[in-house]
Amino acid sequence: MLLELKNIYKWVNSGSRRIFLLKDINLEVKEGEFMSIMGPSGSGKSTLLNVIGMLDHFNEGTYNFLNEPVHELKEKHRANLYKEYIGFVFQAYHLIDELTVYENIETPLLYKNVKSSERKALVADMLDRFNIVGKKDLFPQQLSGGQQQLVGIARALISKPKLILADEPTGNLNSKQSEEIMELFKDLNNEGVTIIQATHSEMNASYGSRTIHLLDGMRNRTN
Amino acid sequence: MIKNYFKIALRNLFKNKGFTAINIIGLALGLGCFIVIAMYVADELSYDRYHEKADRIYRINSDIRFGGTDLIMAVSSDPIGATLKQDYPEVEESARLYSSSGSKLIKKGDEYINESRVTHADSTLFDVFTLPAIVGDTKSALKEPNSVVMTESAARRYFGSPDNAIGKTLETDDNRSTLYNVTAVIKDMPKNSHFNYEFFFSMANIRYTMGNYLSHNFHTYVVLQPDVDYKEFNKYFTDVINKYVMPQASHFMKVESMEAFEKSGNKLEYALFPLTDIHLKSSRGVELGTNGNIQYVYIFSAAALFILLIACINFMNLTTARSSGRAKEVGIRKVLGSEKRALIWQFLTESTLIAFIALICAIVFAWLSLDWFNSISSKEMVISSLIRPEYLAVLLALPFMVGIMAGAYPAFFLSSFQPVKVLKGKISSGTSKNNLRSFLVVFQFSTSIILIIGTVVIYQQLSHIQNSKVGFDKEQVLVVENSGLPRQARESLKSEIAQLTDVKSASFGGYLPVGDSSRSDTTFSSEAVMTESNGFNMQFWNIDYDYIPTLGMEMIEGRNFSRAFGSDSLGIILNESAVKSAGFKNPIGQKLYTSFGPNEPMIPYTVIGVVKNFNYESLRQNVGPLSFILGNNSWVSIYRFQTADITGLVDVVERKYKAMAPGMPFNYRFMDESFDNMYRQEQRVGKVALTFSILAILIACLGLFGLATYIAEQRTKEIGIRKVLGATVTNIVAMLSTDFIKLVLISFVIATPIAYWFMNKWLQDFAFRIDINWWVFILTGIIALLIALVTLSFQAIRAAISNPVKSLRTE
Repeated sequence: MLLELKNIYKWVNSGSRRIFLLKDINLEVKEGEFMSIMGPSGSGKSTLLNVIGMLDHFNEGTYNFLNEPVHELKEKHRANLYKEYIGFVFQAYHLIDELTVYENIETPLLYKNVKSSERKALVADMLDRFNIVGKKDLFPQQLSGGQQQLVGIARALISKPKLILADEPTGNLNSKQSEEIMELFKDLNNEGVTIIQATHSEMNASYGSRTIHLLDGMRNRTN
Repeated sequence: MIKNYFKIALRNLFKNKGFTAINIIGLALGLGCFIVIAMYVADELSYDRYHEKADRIYRINSDIRFGGTDLIMAVSSDPIGATLKQDYPEVEESARLYSSSGSKLIKKGDEYINESRVTHADSTLFDVFTLPAIVGDTKSALKEPNSVVMTESAARRYFGSPDNAIGKTLETDDNRSTLYNVTAVIKDMPKNSHFNYEFFFSMANIRYTMGNYLSHNFHTYVVLQPDVDYKEFNKYFTDVINKYVMPQASHFMKVESMEAFEKSGNKLEYALFPLTDIHLKSSRGVELGTNGNIQYVYIFSAAALFILLIACINFMNLTTARSSGRAKEVGIRKVLGSEKRALIWQFLTESTLIAFIALICAIVFAWLSLDWFNSISSKEMVISSLIRPEYLAVLLALPFMVGIMAGAYPAFFLSSFQPVKVLKGKISSGTSKNNLRSFLVVFQFSTSIILIIGTVVIYQQLSHIQNSKVGFDKEQVLVVENSGLPRQARESLKSEIAQLTDVKSASFGGYLPVGDSSRSDTTFSSEAVMTESNGFNMQFWNIDYDYIPTLGMEMIEGRNFSRAFGSDSLGIILNESAVKSAGFKNPIGQKLYTSFGPNEPMIPYTVIGVVKNFNYESLRQNVGPLSFILGNNSWVSIYRFQTADITGLVDVVERKYKAMAPGMPFNYRFMDESFDNMYRQEQRVGKVALTFSILAILIACLGLFGLATYIAEQRTKEIGIRKVLGATVTNIVAMLSTDFIKLVLISFVIATPIAYWFMNKWLQDFAFRIDINWWVFILTGIIALLIALVTLSFQAIRAAISNPVKSLRTE
């Protein structure tokens, strides 16, 4: 079992009213799964991904990741956990504008204190694998959206995570680029990487092995 | 990792060129200013410290009050140094300087050169002060009469080289002609010395009746044994006065005892004064040069620190304001696994890097401005003096300190962003509603306003001095020195020049109502027998018949000296203060008595006139009592002229002078220039204050400009929406400016009382001073407001006229 969410609630108070962002979410994800989260805008897809990725807190419930009780961990410990095991891919890519392709991919390794020679080898592998060796010295603005997202994925993969969290990874891309990215995810999944993606598109969801539906912060069990 | 920080820091700097430039220029100006002032302060503090015994050397100061006149002097009597050494084992050595004879003419080839850096000194001078010899032995150099020690550069001027000078003779105009043997050549004295001579003549050659405890004409220095407390030692002076001074005084007037003398409001005090304090803390009568002022050192240091602080604040402000631009980067880095600490380091690296670049610019800036600063501060500082291990250490530490100080707040602020929030674009930290930022802007503008008010007041006071009625007419007066001319020639030259059509009036004189002129202080009594109660001191100047009209002084009672009266040789003219000191109701016809030595008879003078008070000392002091008698003092000739062609007139006078005295130097000055020289320090301070205010306001404006830019950028979308909803350009500009204008107004309210207090304190130094006008504050407020408005409107207008469609689309 990679991770397990039990009775997760997350809410914000607006005046006297309590607005639930996540309501009684129960979820188990096994290693090697490729899961898609679907639902309309505002249904809580991104919030759920952020909770899984430990970037966001939740108010109630328990969350175990690799048998570690995330809800009981200190901030620093939690950060170490996601640094080690989770890679993020964003809809807006979120590359650092001031860094080149090479440096963007390298950054997570810097924060893990990987030695220089090892870093070089790892980044070179990654560039090679994604066929972007020729673009390694370019800055993000000089790339197309699809290429930027490739870099984003490469960056997420560089620290060899067990889990990739992708929030609408193709939301800003055209259909051809989308297809390439999804093929890539499929390949990664086949290599053993667990993937959870949030998406609007049935097409994209069909690449996954399992789909869950959210509506107003709840799992939509009718589906 | 550090490499990565540097890389991203550099790229960030290049990406935001405008921001970087504002940041670096602001910081560089602040740092440069700091460096120059630090050099200045270090130089001021270094005076006289190069002497090996510097911490044990003291000067004997005298404080005398007699008949209501205070004499606060840097000189003491001729025997007192030797007496101390003889009576007290605590005194290791003593040495005197006698500079009262002023400059000397020294013969070089066929020509006489007027040398002003000359003095007579005891042979022990070189045991007290560290003045190393190049050739010769200073220990014995001044033991014999007719010997002279000169500095290296003087030796080069007269003999080509120090080695060549030894054993040669110098001819001076003492007693028409005196020859001195050069017995030693010393290194040039360092600039940072409170006295700075090129020639030391032996003390045996002065014409002075030695052993007189009552006349104070010698600068006396003593070296105390190690570990002697000079304040304790000062207690011995009471014994010295009772044992040596009082017996002499009782010959001269009826003094019962020291107690009676002090009871009648008089005072006689001696005290040791530390050598290293002389330059900054001593401004007595008869100092050996223009000393500095510790107050100005404090003021300058404070101003430099404040400017540095303003610059650092800018840095903080701009960096924090820009933080929203960096928020996304922070968010991504956190998601990628960066710890808070790593981010703090990254931002500190960045600010330190900027500080380093700014430091380099600052050194260049300091180097470029040093000449100019030297000229207004009359120093000779060079940038290479920074190359000393302790200075370099400070210089290198500075950017770290500044970088950490200025970068700490942005670093902690930025690194504490919540990644999820920033990635969703929820952080908007660049708005004007930030209390810390408001506080910083208020601080900057308060400081700037204080400096501006200070500058205006200083300049007002200076112009008040220049234009105030000083009781004589200083314009269009030429003063020519006669020291090179024989007596008879002086008279014929004067009458020849008086014939010129441009010359309205001519007179001889020795005493002038401006600085750098001789003074003569004498004790008078209103009765034939002098007692503690009827005696008083006053200036006693001998002048000729034409002196008063030539200098444009005004008689308010009685008459001037006149050739028509035979008895005027015992007549005396008083100024108003002297009438008051003597206690006369109807001064004309009253008698005043004085004598010219301990055993001389009392001479009665009859008051024939009263002259309106005129300022003969600086306007810092009130006009003291002064008297004129008729005499034949012809050290200088004074000409009142009326011409537009001043250089032409000077040429004519010089030609006539040279014809009378071939080979003699022609020295002249204008009365109004000499007058201005008395206020050179104030003028300097005025210029420095002006520079500081301009710098401070410039840096503050750079900061304001940067802030306005970012706030305008932040609110682009809001501005777009408002315009779509019908807001005019004026509305938008007003909206963007109001917050800042409010801050400037608050600064004004804070700054005004502080500035008033400080400037009032400064003005207390002047007996003749202006009142601070309310309009100075209003004017300064308006200036600050206008400058802020202009700065802001650049950005505000640009933001306001932008096309809303564009700004909304880019969102």
